[in-house]
Amino acid sequence: MIETIKEVINKITNPQILFPILAVSYLFVFPMNNFFEKINRKLGIYKLWTRNGGILMMSGLFAFFCFGISDPNFRKIVSKPDNVPIVGLLFLVVFFLWLSMKQAYDNDARIAAGKPPQEAEDAKEKILVWPDLVYIEFICLILCSVLLLVWAMALQAPIEEPANPSVSPNPSKAPWYFLGLQEMLVYFDPWLAGVVFPTVIMIGLMAIPYIDNNKKGSGYYTFNDRRMAVSIFMFLWIVLWIFLISVGTFLRGPNWNFFGPFEYWDLHKLEALTNVNLSELIYMIWMKKQLPSNILLREMWGFLAVFVYFGVMPLLLAKTVLKNVFKNLGPLRYSVFVILLLFTASLPIKMLLRWVFNIKYIIAIPEFFFNI
Amino acid sequence: MGQDERHYNINKLNMLFAFASIALLLAIMSLFMKDYDREWKDYQTQFRAMEVEKARVKLDKETLTLEAQDEYNELVAQLEKAQAEFDAKCALTDEIKASLKEVEDQAILVEQDYKFRKAELDALKYKFEHAEAYQEADAEKYGEEFQALSERVNELGLQLEVSKQALKAKEQEIKSCGEELKQLRRSQSKIAGQRDLLQRKLDSIDPAEMTFVNQIANLVRDLPVLDLANPNNKIEQVVLKDVTDNVNFMNVPKVERCISCHLGITNPDYENEVQPFKTHPNLEQYVGKNSPHPIEEFGCTVCHGGRARGTSFNGAVHVPSSPAQKAEWEEKYGYHQMELWEDPMIPLPLTQSQCFKCHSGETRIKGADKLNLGLSLIEKSGCYACHEIDKYKHWNKPGPDLTKLDTKISKEWAYRWINDPHSFRHNAMMPAYFNQSNNSDPVSLKRSSQEIHAMIHYLFENTQPFQQAKLPVKGNAETGEELVKSIGCYACHQIKPEADLVKTDIDNLRRRHGPNLIGLGSKTSKQWLFNWLKDPTRYHPKTSMPDMRLTDQEAADIAEFLSGDKNREFDAQPVPEIDVNILNGIVIDFLKRGLTDQGARDKLAQMKLGEKLHFAGEKLISQYGCYSCHNIKGFEGAKPIGVELTEEASKSIHKFDFGFLHIEHSKHAWFTQKLKDPRSFDHGKIKAPDEKLRMPNFEFKDEEIEAIVTALMGFVNTSTVEAKKVPRTPENLIKEKGQDLIAQFNCQGCHIMEGNGGTIASTVETWLKEYEGKTDNEAATVRDSFSPPNLHGVGKKLDPEWLFNFLHEPKQIVRPWLRVRMPTFNFNVSHLNSLIQYFQAVDGDAFPYKFDPDTKMTKEEYAAAEKLFSEDYFGCTQCHVVGGKLPSGSQDSWAPNLALARTRLQPEWLIEWLKNPSALMPGTKMPTFFDPDSYEESGPEDILDGNEDEQIRVLRNFLMSLSDDTPEPEAKAKPRPKSTTAPKKAAPAESNP
Repeated sequence: MIETIKEVINKITNPQILFPILAVSYLFVFPMNNFFEKINRKLGIYKLWTRNGGILMMSGLFAFFCFGISDPNFRKIVSKPDNVPIVGLLFLVVFFLWLSMKQAYDNDARIAAGKPPQEAEDAKEKILVWPDLVYIEFICLILCSVLLLVWAMALQAPIEEPANPSVSPNPSKAPWYFLGLQEMLVYFDPWLAGVVFPTVIMIGLMAIPYIDNNKKGSGYYTFNDRRMAVSIFMFLWIVLWIFLISVGTFLRGPNWNFFGPFEYWDLHKLEALTNVNLSELIYMIWMKKQLPSNILLREMWGFLAVFVYFGVMPLLLAKTVLKNVFKNLGPLRYSVFVILLLFTASLPIKMLLRWVFNIKYIIAIPEFFFNI
Repeated sequence: MGQDERHYNINKLNMLFAFASIALLLAIMSLFMKDYDREWKDYQTQFRAMEVEKARVKLDKETLTLEAQDEYNELVAQLEKAQAEFDAKCALTDEIKASLKEVEDQAILVEQDYKFRKAELDALKYKFEHAEAYQEADAEKYGEEFQALSERVNELGLQLEVSKQALKAKEQEIKSCGEELKQLRRSQSKIAGQRDLLQRKLDSIDPAEMTFVNQIANLVRDLPVLDLANPNNKIEQVVLKDVTDNVNFMNVPKVERCISCHLGITNPDYENEVQPFKTHPNLEQYVGKNSPHPIEEFGCTVCHGGRARGTSFNGAVHVPSSPAQKAEWEEKYGYHQMELWEDPMIPLPLTQSQCFKCHSGETRIKGADKLNLGLSLIEKSGCYACHEIDKYKHWNKPGPDLTKLDTKISKEWAYRWINDPHSFRHNAMMPAYFNQSNNSDPVSLKRSSQEIHAMIHYLFENTQPFQQAKLPVKGNAETGEELVKSIGCYACHQIKPEADLVKTDIDNLRRRHGPNLIGLGSKTSKQWLFNWLKDPTRYHPKTSMPDMRLTDQEAADIAEFLSGDKNREFDAQPVPEIDVNILNGIVIDFLKRGLTDQGARDKLAQMKLGEKLHFAGEKLISQYGCYSCHNIKGFEGAKPIGVELTEEASKSIHKFDFGFLHIEHSKHAWFTQKLKDPRSFDHGKIKAPDEKLRMPNFEFKDEEIEAIVTALMGFVNTSTVEAKKVPRTPENLIKEKGQDLIAQFNCQGCHIMEGNGGTIASTVETWLKEYEGKTDNEAATVRDSFSPPNLHGVGKKLDPEWLFNFLHEPKQIVRPWLRVRMPTFNFNVSHLNSLIQYFQAVDGDAFPYKFDPDTKMTKEEYAAAEKLFSEDYFGCTQCHVVGGKLPSGSQDSWAPNLALARTRLQPEWLIEWLKNPSALMPGTKMPTFFDPDSYEESGPEDILDGNEDEQIRVLRNFLMSLSDDTPEPEAKAKPRPKSTTAPKKAAPAESNP
């Protein structure tokens, strides 16, 4: 029985399955529009952000670890001193996610009832910097020091063998905060995953204040007033960042192969590499003929796809789904916003293309080291 | 500010603050404790207690021994008396003290006065000089003052001397009173020095013996934080500047901290203690101060491996020797394997492997029996043929030449042999390629049979002509058997199955240098054997089988005897027919490597059966690497197929494929498994026939595997211990080269060299019992006389030129009574020179400068020598053969031919030999005529005025004048009575030289 559960979990945690599950359920947990909102209400998902929901989530997570820790492979990965902070990260993320969402939902309820948000009530109270604030800060500081000291004593620093230029560790993992980027390398060429995307992420973060012209939701937690902003952020944060870090930490083993949480990290495990480029898919698999020798002709479809994605999609979206956004933001803001949004979406899209069609590159011109 | 303005409850916050502060304090304290609490400190504390205990026991013992001595007791009594006397007479009474004080005070006062006046005088001197130089008015006044003061100073100076003298006298008076006591004390400490030393040691280490202040200091010095100054517990280490750790980017000096816990390692008092205090075994050889490998220069991990800087049990990367020990360690030390350290400790049973790091040039390393056995097995099994090993690069292929195969064996025999060599001889040297764990399924078995057919076809097709002489005479098996048992075949061969119980050791292996000869009749013909025995090199030019110089009759007899033994069971094994379908499959697999599928099929269709067999045979021989061990036509100069082993044990553990086997992930476990079942790492893998592992199975016994693994673990990269290697001096190189040749030609199968070998002696004993009618006791006593000589000291003894000629072709028979024959080896000039240089290097004799002393004699000298030689005096001919004359004494005591002395022996050596034979060859049967204890009186008084040196010199010169055609000494000697009584002096043959 337990073994079956473990096997099921091993299967489910494969990103090919878990990612779509997460991406789809995300839509219902953080409903972007009224359609999803309705389903959310109907299924009672919003109850996650109540007291009981929080207890349920935290105890669920806790139960999962308790269940897993009896398995030697799970224990080995989870208790590695390198990985312990990431375990802590999972608990903290769930807790604070719940805390903020609970406050947001409470405020939404208050606003709907015509009352000001909770933060407005709080603002009436006065706290003295000295002694109240300084005192609790000082206590916090002491407790954090205690935590760090105890941690340092309990878990030895994970020092490895003497560095050897001719032997690289397997798997070679980036520091945890870069594991999301390293995971992207599986799906994108290094110049995209390592250079373009990080740059776009930073520019995007800088651009947020200029794009966001929604005056509501300032100074208090709310979901209803900023549905679009919150849900987009949650996707980037939970699905594309936290999830990818967890995958990189716990589920990527030797040779960057995927291993379920209860699976032994076998050095010799082989995964079939049968990925194809878009051109190969179209010409060889669908049209059953040879690749054209002309590069442009060969990659025509890829260029077309990229052009449609970045050139036509914004217009289409402006006319359809994002009509209101376009109206709110105006053409300039809208175009910056939509380009950033499309960049963001390109990661899950590429992942899906990889899993469904084994697509390696949309445009593949190895002759000029240009792959997308 | 009012209470109501506070947001938080101040009492609660205070509580929280108190709690947090206490937690922080506890955390910091436990941080200190964790840092302070180290395994090695406990061991050091324990060790100090043991030291105190041992010192106490020693002190008690020493005191008891002292008290048992009258001399000491007397001294103590005297001392007591003297002390009493001293106390009575010389004790410092108040009166004496007061008078001394008075004199002292006086002296001090005078001295002070003198110093002050002297200072004033110097100042005045300056003033006076200054005034004079500038002709000042008051110069004269200063002059007078100066004069007066200097007189005063002189006066004071005298006074001071007097008072000092008085003080000295007073002190002397007091001192002289205790002189006798001091003298006694001195003589006491001479006798009881050892005890006093122990007492002092105890005073410094035993808290019970310390003063109160020292006890406090002793406690404080080890407290946390305070222990930075001079603690009792501190990390002990040895830094080896010339041995380094390779940390990939640089080499850093080794820092050995093992002795922080292994505290008694060099102290013989700890022999019976438990680890980590136990003394290192064999301190004279290892670790001890005066050993060749002192700890200060070699440390520990050079030989044992592990992490030298580690100061905890796991941190030092200990490795258990057995699963039982592992379990014990887990319980006792919380042992776990430290996977990330690449050079873990060598398990204790394999430690000898590390000797090879520095002694790799030596063929047999003294004291490393297991390693030597491993190396011998590698040599005997011919591992070096498939796997390149630096040490054996120049060795010949271990297997026989297959280019004239068709004259020796039949195809059927070859099939059965390749299919299962161990069914012909249980200890066949040829390893098994087929019927192994990865090719024993029905499909593989069928394929194997066709593979063998193909290879045999190739081998029999690619032969060259070999003319075999017909047997000229009819052989007699019985004579043949005696010959085999007596002439020395048993040095290298055996002709009986060997009980599995016999433990493999080096001696055993020497006797198995050549193949076991059981069942030879099934393998080859009488005629072939006759031709082989007459001249082995004609069939196999690089064979190590020597020419025994057999007559036709002898060769025929031996051939008759050996071919009589047949292995019926083996002969009855069925040989399957050639199956063209399977053969086609094999051929097509090989064809596909270079051709398209269709191309391969077309090609196959064109091939005739013979062509197919030839084609597949060639490919298969190449695949299995048969040519690595055997000479095969068409494979001259082909590279060996195995992986190089020279630095095998330095390879990263990740490069060893453990497959799906669940064994310990260590190199030694991998090697062991590989030798036990070379194909086992294929277990559970799906592989095409030509992808399968192909190392053959040697069917090693467990102890053999352990020995080979020991050797393998020593095959490492040695760049970090370069400074510790046996120096590459010319002498060492010569010795090593000689040892290498000795191993290749199995010289030690017959001869004792450097104290080892001579394994043939036991078979000589058997022969003596079987054919010479000796009883067990007799055979055991005389066997050495009938065995090949001990080669101890040969370099000094034999003339190099004679030795060269003898080794090249042993024509001159030194010991005609021996049945064992020195064979004619297939030595080339370089071999011969190396061997002679080796013999001389072992004896520390210079080569090639030889000093030829004058051996001329006057008539008187000759007469004197003749007398000494005769029956009346030394009776040399009782034991020694002289030319054609055989000795008069019993055959058991015969000794080498003296007629050869002139060319054979070195003159200086002969002098030494006559003087004291047993000094040169311990245990020799040559009697000592000149007693070394009373040398001056030892020689006969009536010859040459009893001058022993002269006697020896003339006797030496006389011996050097003997030759086959000098009948004079015999003729002139008195006719010997034909007695059969034993010789007067027990003077049988010198045991072996």
